[in-house]
Amino acid sequence: MYPVWEVPYLTAGGVLALIATFHMLPSHLATSAMWLSVYLEGKAYREERPELLEFVKKYSKFLLVFSYVFGSLSGVGIWFSATVAAPRGISGLIHNYVWGWATEWVFFLIEVAGIFLYTYSFDKVDRRTHLTVGWVFAAASWTTMVVIVGILTFMLTPGRWLATGGFFDGFFNQTYWPQLLLRTTAMFALAAAFAVLVAARLKDERARAEVVRAAGVTGLAGTLLGAACFAWYHASLPAALHDVLDALLTPALGRWMLYPALAVGLYFAVLAFKPLRVGTAAALGAIVVLFASVFALERARELIRKPYLMPGMMYSNQIIGADLPAKGVGSDAGRFARTGILAAAPFVPEGLRTLGDSNRAEAGRMLALLECSACHTLQERGLRPLPRLVRGLGMDDPAAMTGFLDALEGYPYMPPFVGNQAEKEALAAYLVALARNGR
Amino acid sequence: MQTGTMLSLLQDPMGVPFYPAVFQALMVLTFALHILFVNLSVGTTALAVFGRLKGGERWTALSRGMGKSAAACVSTAILLGVAPLLFVQVIYDPFWYASNTLSAAWVIAFVFVMMAGYGSTYVFTMRSEADRLGLAAGVFSLAMFLTAGFTMHALNFQMLQPEKWLGWYTQAGAAVTSGLVLHDFSLPRFLHFIVPAFAATGVYLMLYARYFEVRPDLDKEHLSWVGRLGGGLAFWTTGVQTLAGLGWLLSLPPEFRFYAHPVFMLAAVLGASLLFFLYEARRSPGGPQRLAWPAAGGLLATVLAMAAAREALRGLYVGRSGFTAMSHRVNLDLASTALFFVTFALGLVVLAWLLSVAYQAGRTAGRWEAGPRMRRWGWASVGLLAAWLAVVAGLGVVVTLKNAGS
Repeated sequence: MYPVWEVPYLTAGGVLALIATFHMLPSHLATSAMWLSVYLEGKAYREERPELLEFVKKYSKFLLVFSYVFGSLSGVGIWFSATVAAPRGISGLIHNYVWGWATEWVFFLIEVAGIFLYTYSFDKVDRRTHLTVGWVFAAASWTTMVVIVGILTFMLTPGRWLATGGFFDGFFNQTYWPQLLLRTTAMFALAAAFAVLVAARLKDERARAEVVRAAGVTGLAGTLLGAACFAWYHASLPAALHDVLDALLTPALGRWMLYPALAVGLYFAVLAFKPLRVGTAAALGAIVVLFASVFALERARELIRKPYLMPGMMYSNQIIGADLPAKGVGSDAGRFARTGILAAAPFVPEGLRTLGDSNRAEAGRMLALLECSACHTLQERGLRPLPRLVRGLGMDDPAAMTGFLDALEGYPYMPPFVGNQAEKEALAAYLVALARNGR
Repeated sequence: MQTGTMLSLLQDPMGVPFYPAVFQALMVLTFALHILFVNLSVGTTALAVFGRLKGGERWTALSRGMGKSAAACVSTAILLGVAPLLFVQVIYDPFWYASNTLSAAWVIAFVFVMMAGYGSTYVFTMRSEADRLGLAAGVFSLAMFLTAGFTMHALNFQMLQPEKWLGWYTQAGAAVTSGLVLHDFSLPRFLHFIVPAFAATGVYLMLYARYFEVRPDLDKEHLSWVGRLGGGLAFWTTGVQTLAGLGWLLSLPPEFRFYAHPVFMLAAVLGASLLFFLYEARRSPGGPQRLAWPAAGGLLATVLAMAAAREALRGLYVGRSGFTAMSHRVNLDLASTALFFVTFALGLVVLAWLLSVAYQAGRTAGRWEAGPRMRRWGWASVGLLAAWLAVVAGLGVVVTLKNAGS
């Protein structure tokens, strides 16, 4: 267990979620935009249409700046925020999937060299070579998705990996294919939405209509196929995850997943038929709406992982809850129950390692930091605030609170308390005091 | 808790999928390339700003070239930074994660500082010379890159002192969870990383002049000036770097006797040879750019040796707590190891094609036409990527069917 980083109101996990969701936009644009680009570039050459090429140049410049400034750095940002929010979680992933990430990095090398060359060489290399650069980029960038989806879905459904520890057993898990296709189709909707934004500023009306119509058709196809893939993805989830989804999916979140997707589908349909009706403001609005839908989907994906960070093995608070013989890993739970988590966890102030009357309150806070703060703020307001939740449960007595902590063993979406009895009581007393004093 | 016990508890229990020495070698190699481009990013940005401030035809033209170079260098630096960032987490996980979580707010700020700095680079390049906003954007970029560099330096320096971590985490008996404090830094170490920015940029200018000299449409006199400027910059700042290196060497714990370490000695000899070579290059009849390629080779060799020395030094630091990067348990996973190395080999073929196109196109005035060999190589690149996808998809189908229902 590493030092805890507390972010008031938000939690460190909240910071990770914000950066990761933002990254969806530039990263999915990076994997999809070039397919539309090379299609239009080829058409521009075949039909000798320089005005179409104007769009392709603008679009690739937008792609370069948006995806390879903000996308590259927000991608690094996901790593950094995962590092400070859940170091043991990202460490576990990296120690299993380091070669997966390294493989993705090879394609990333090709991508970055490719986008610079593509953007800056329209008039510098012959047309056929330029198109080939585009194809190389398109293939390499989509391949980064082929790789990363294996790691992303492993975090949701590790499948046979839990028994074998094998890289590919975890990688090609039961949600891999539907997720890959869902992201692939959704990325075209995103590419189309951004293409409209860029095309809205084209002066040549014929070119604008043509690009926007192509974007509308691409986007509509992406949205419809995406909906079908979502249904497949939903059906592929194991029963236990369905239970968590049923328990945690609020009607509001459900609406956020559905309505923006419908609105975007309708928007693309309008574009396909009335391509000149859309201006910059509407194009931006569509991107915001699309983002809302993506945000809700990502949020739901995070929710159904609960109570785990690595399903079947590591809880959301980074405590390893089960043995993994295939990797020679032993559970923390038994060890912490014997010795006490305060004595055994590396980052605990020395004065709190042994519980006594003088340090009980501070030790209680330390336990809350270790076991609860990954998902709950310790403040009165913010993300799942502990004082309010405890008050909501009507817990004003440490003994009752201890009973509640005992009952966590049977909860579907919260990790059990890990530690010894004295620590459990200290945490219970702290939580009750927190609820009472509101600090 | 003893520091050694703490480190062994922190170490990831999953082990590593291949021998740690291989990750270490990859880390050193990719770090060397990363830091070279970090140096070029800082140096080209600084020169771009300086050129715009100085004004006049020559400096303005140079400033324009450096602005564009900076954008590409930063992107490359980020790209090449991903790999050592990955490998350091594999073999130095307790150190990296502890240092990061102790200063978590800085870690997150680093990302936004880089975004702001990199975004401003484009504002600088897109604005005209007369526009003050462009100049301000350039200065801002440079400030952001230096801030980001300093943050990364501090995080890496904190890593080396595990015996202090718990003290940094504790205040008045309680855990400090704000992550707002950078707990330690070493100015000599930071300077030793930043001064080479100008030496590397000097060599880059020599290359720039050498590379473009075949272009009939470009001003020969200007290129010759750029080459001479680069030669001087490279020589003098390599000299300053020698002094900065001495300062850094004196700041190290004396018990390490690092000055006598063979890897350090190799790096120092290479550095001194580079300095001598750059001195000679300045007197070359055709200008220092005549020797741009060997200078670049010497620079690369020196940076590689310095990166290896840095790793040897890290070994001494972490060894004080009984830790070694080789202590990770190996859970051999040959399939994924093969996936990476095969992909890497294939990727280099494709990457080399892209770089080769860029190299040849840049040296041609007007539009460059690919010959039949380059054209075949391009198609082969697309084919290799398609073949990779086909093989991996096939593997995926086999694994999926094998595991279905189990």
